[in-house]
Amino acid sequence: GSSGKEGKGWKKFQSYKGEGALPDEVERLRIFVDRKAQSVILPIHGFAVPFHINTIKNASKSDEGDFTYLRINFQTPGQLAGKKEDTPFEDPDATFIRSVSYRSPDGHRFDNLVKQITDLKKEANKREQQKKEMAD
Amino acid sequence: MTSQFDKIYYGLSPEVGKFRVAASGMGWKGTESNNTVTLEASKIKWAQWIRVARHFQLRVGLADHSKQKFDGFLREEHDKIASLLKNHFAITLETQEVSFKGWNWGVADFRGQDLAFLVSDKTSFELPLNNVANSNIAGRTEVSLEFANLAGSSKGKIAGDEMVEIRFHVPGNVSKIKDSDAGSA
Repeated sequence: GSSGKEGKGWKKFQSYKGEGALPDEVERLRIFVDRKAQSVILPIHGFAVPFHINTIKNASKSDEGDFTYLRINFQTPGQLAGKKEDTPFEDPDATFIRSVSYRSPDGHRFDNLVKQITDLKKEANKREQQKKEMAD
Repeated sequence: MTSQFDKIYYGLSPEVGKFRVAASGMGWKGTESNNTVTLEASKIKWAQWIRVARHFQLRVGLADHSKQKFDGFLREEHDKIASLLKNHFAITLETQEVSFKGWNWGVADFRGQDLAFLVSDKTSFELPLNNVANSNIAGRTEVSLEFANLAGSSKGKIAGDEMVEIRFHVPGNVSKIKDSDAGSA
């Protein structure tokens, strides 16, 4: 988007500067929460794909038969923002990943991942809130 | 003369194997299964070097327009691979840039049998469309892709966590994706 209106209020963030900064754990092709980089790294068909916590809305888990499903919802335009003000986007006209779902026979690990992602999100929200209060 | 690389994976397989390059071509052999993959020198057309989860991937394009992927090469092995390919098959190893920005927005780009998701003009990941079991359009701006489980796996035999669905928000662009060969519901 090139119009001046788009991207207004969006603050730049980035998970990693380059491939050398990826944690060794990605090699296992498992979802990994990197607290230091404020990111969740997802294995997507062999790629290690980081998502900064700012892009994540929430994570949830459900059990079906022998498997546990983990779903991560992302921030995208066109969602009801509730009572919060609209989230600013760098390019609202881009294609966005809205959600991803994984399955595993190991429900305990997915439980733990949901907790880690939820905690990371809480910390990020808290920091954001503190910044706002400082600015007021 | 044959050069060998250890701890190389063929595609997304969980099994490691040995990868060999010689004037006659390239080959992979699984350590446990003894399965082999061979690529004849005369069929090798191009090669790419891409950072993936299991270190670097060597992607080889063949004369029949198929491609083969081998994961597990180390950063330091780039120059050795590049010179082997140059000397034996007269092809240049091209590096495909990958994004690690952590953004969930970009451009969906159809490249043959793959849907590539690009962030700031760099590849973030690729989805093989022939693994799409089902696709749906929900509302005017949402597209979902469901994946068939790769190894027909019950338990254990997949490498890592298995993505079963991805949903995209595509502002005003849904018809573009629908008209492609992404498979339909």
